[in-house]
Amino acid sequence: MKALNYLKIIALLLPGFGLILFFLGMILYVAIFQSFGLFNLSGEDNFTLQYWEKLFNRKVFYRSVNYSLYVGVISSIISVALAYPIALWLRKPFYGSIIINSILKAPLLVHGLVAAFLFVNLVAYHGIINQIFIFIGLWDEPIRMQNDKNAIGVLILQVWKNLPFALLILLGSIQSIGDDVIDAARDLGANSFARLKKIIAPLTISSMQAALIIIFIGALADFSFQSIAGPTNKYSLSQLMLYYKNNGRWHEAAGVGVTIMIISFLGAIFISYLTKFIFFGRKINEFK
Amino acid sequence: MYRKILAVFSLLSVMLYSGFTFGGSHNWDEVLAEAKKEGKVNWFQWYLVDALAEFIKPFEEEYGIDVVITQGKHTVNIDKAVAEMGRSKGDIDVLSLGFDKIPDLNMPGMFIKLSDELPKDSRTTNLAGVDAKDYAYAWWGNQSGFAYDPEKVDESKLPQTPEEIAQFWEANPGKFGFNYENGGSGPSFFQNILRVMGSADFTSGESSPEKISKLKPGIDYFNKYADKYIITAGNADSIQRISDKEIWMAPAWEDHLAGLQKRGEVRKEIKMYIPSMGMNGGGNGVAIPKNAPNPHAALVFANWLLSAETQTGFNRDFGAAPLHPEADDSSALISNSQRAYRQNWASNPFSKDLTDHFIEEVMMNR
Amino acid sequence: MNLNKVLILLILIISFIWLVVPFTMAILWSLVDPSEPWTVDKIFPPVMSFYRWNYMWENSNLKEALLNSYILAPTTALFCLILSIPTSYAFGRLNFYGKEIAKLLTLLPIVLPPFVTSIYFSSILFEIGFQYWKFGNVLIAHVVLFIPFSIRIMTVCFEQVKQDVIDAARDLSASKIEVFKTAYFPSLKSGVFASILIVFILSIEEFAIAFIIGAPDFITIPTILYSALGQDFVRPNAAVISLILVFPNVILMIFLERVLRSANPALISGK
Repeated sequence: MKALNYLKIIALLLPGFGLILFFLGMILYVAIFQSFGLFNLSGEDNFTLQYWEKLFNRKVFYRSVNYSLYVGVISSIISVALAYPIALWLRKPFYGSIIINSILKAPLLVHGLVAAFLFVNLVAYHGIINQIFIFIGLWDEPIRMQNDKNAIGVLILQVWKNLPFALLILLGSIQSIGDDVIDAARDLGANSFARLKKIIAPLTISSMQAALIIIFIGALADFSFQSIAGPTNKYSLSQLMLYYKNNGRWHEAAGVGVTIMIISFLGAIFISYLTKFIFFGRKINEFK
Repeated sequence: MYRKILAVFSLLSVMLYSGFTFGGSHNWDEVLAEAKKEGKVNWFQWYLVDALAEFIKPFEEEYGIDVVITQGKHTVNIDKAVAEMGRSKGDIDVLSLGFDKIPDLNMPGMFIKLSDELPKDSRTTNLAGVDAKDYAYAWWGNQSGFAYDPEKVDESKLPQTPEEIAQFWEANPGKFGFNYENGGSGPSFFQNILRVMGSADFTSGESSPEKISKLKPGIDYFNKYADKYIITAGNADSIQRISDKEIWMAPAWEDHLAGLQKRGEVRKEIKMYIPSMGMNGGGNGVAIPKNAPNPHAALVFANWLLSAETQTGFNRDFGAAPLHPEADDSSALISNSQRAYRQNWASNPFSKDLTDHFIEEVMMNR
Repeated sequence: MNLNKVLILLILIISFIWLVVPFTMAILWSLVDPSEPWTVDKIFPPVMSFYRWNYMWENSNLKEALLNSYILAPTTALFCLILSIPTSYAFGRLNFYGKEIAKLLTLLPIVLPPFVTSIYFSSILFEIGFQYWKFGNVLIAHVVLFIPFSIRIMTVCFEQVKQDVIDAARDLSASKIEVFKTAYFPSLKSGVFASILIVFILSIEEFAIAFIIGAPDFITIPTILYSALGQDFVRPNAAVISLILVFPNVILMIFLERVLRSANPALISGK
């Protein structure tokens, strides 16, 4: 009976999880081994740690790690922090809520590269913002805002693109909480904060984690926003990987690729625990 | 279903023809006839794609061969060719590639020897210090220099040496920009500064920590004036910023600027020169992979690209330096007297180590 | 109610800056005539015409790319959804050894950098003898790459199905279909649309796979966009391509809003 049960689970996992494991397992295998000098495309295979050593000896590597973490953490937190209250607000339909919903979700359907292009048009030396401020007389001459050093441009783009994404995920789970549950809590005398803490937060924590993790990983591995609107004195990890790859240095590129994967995994685990901790404190087990 | 049948047929035809496709014994008329039958050629090219699609229309009309220009980044195109090496039939008929990439590639393994297949003509296979040994021919010549806004810059005192450039930076802070990625105009600039100021030997590709340490004077120079110049996002961004009057001077490619001006993308007043300290010149070649799906059409198209008439056209319409001795180059941005200042790209692995070192010691300190 | 009005007004103002201004700028840029460039000292383009629109429509592969992308993306979304349901059911409703690890491993495709993935992917596809059917190749790659999103979303939905409702339905000896209707359906419905929408969008946007595996026979929107915004960046041409690409999305948005509205459980139940 038990064996039958396991067979059933394996059969269930096969089309989705199995598919991923098959293809990505192979790719991962090649990438990891390549970072150790194997799968050499232009010479002898040779197991060595020298490529990792080279990476760890370079400023550019640490700077990229820091920078990508910065973009990943800030964009995921801001996107979800903005989306959560909006999702709560839109939980029950009201006059105009459909329009608000559509407007907020519109950026989802604008291609990321188009968004970057539109944004650069605004902040460019010749862009509308500069023109308006000069017209008003606030600025004497245009100010250079494109490719700013603190990557505010990239963060704005990430939030622009990811806020609707977070909203989509959060709204779905918030709306599926039945009114009866919330009414019951109200009848029992819970005020709105208690309802949020005791009912809504626990029931939406998985979607919140999903949103945080997906946005974090996406922003961490960002290439297009960074290359169009990002600071010119920093590489994001993807950019660094491409830089190595474009120079035919596959082993170092693979090393950076593996780094992105490791950080993404650790980040996903960290986010899961942190959100649980913040919402439940030490009472994680009580709720399960 | 149609696609499947097509796939089976193409597989069969490859099996039948393999080993015979590029036999080299058939004459050019046969090649032309076969090419017409193939009717199509896939050209992997990474810049000016839309403009070139218009430019090659006369070829399509004359030979009845459709040219499909595929859009994609330079390095991605090359990666694709490398990834497809093992297949009996690839996707690429004609591949454009920068001459600076050629030393890194297994040319005899990937491409056919063009001199065995094309009719006799004068072509360039040795360019910018790279000998492609007839596996690739140059079809596009380019030269980097400084683009400048004559409204703002005194044309009688254009900076020629690192010292004069530093003076220009001091006098006009934030008005000079260059890129270190997305195109080679900026790298041409810092490579030449490092060459002129340091004592490393740029003629050999050999690299060692001692040789890299000889670049120090140039590295110090960039760090000393770090707040006087700006870093742009790429070749196109540099020129765009001059056109927007944000900056006054930036390294650029001659053909790129000429093309943008001819198509009304940037101001026509922008001019260009090569400083006497030297800037790199180079070119792009075409090569035909051994597993080209339309091998005959590929040959006919390559032959047309490299002809004197087409080369004249590239100079006239795009400002590229012609590579056929009989082509006409009367409409160039840079005067002939300055062409003597042309330098070749440093070879690898030195060139890669130099770029790494520059990014590490200059860019990462910004 | 008043607070709502203020908030609505605020959102409308923000979205004006958020959406209307950037697109107006793009429209102006697309109308710049090649005879004279638009420089910083001029508020409006000096010469305006539809030249760029004609030129880009005639001289680029836009039409083909639009068709390809809009066939590929919904197909990918559908496959991802169908294939993800069994796994999500196992993740959301069953308990087994190693579930948490398996859940984490499903995120693999998201964390792998796309360019590396696509290069190894094409060689794997070649190894299994599947390289000639370009559409199929890109489709498989997209499904593998984006199925984690479907699994994640559908798992959440399965988790939200209330056991007491299932039990209650069973106690009332409801048939399997009725159990599904009352217990599963309300939770799953919004997830199905969220999954389809997200995978659709991701597939429309994907570049690395589409180019390395698909080119030259199979061109998608991002392939074209990438070259217009990258090496060859010419602002007016990029503006034309951007606007042409956004237009079908606007129509799609209106359509999807309708579907999503009908799928909103709160609206259906009338509460």
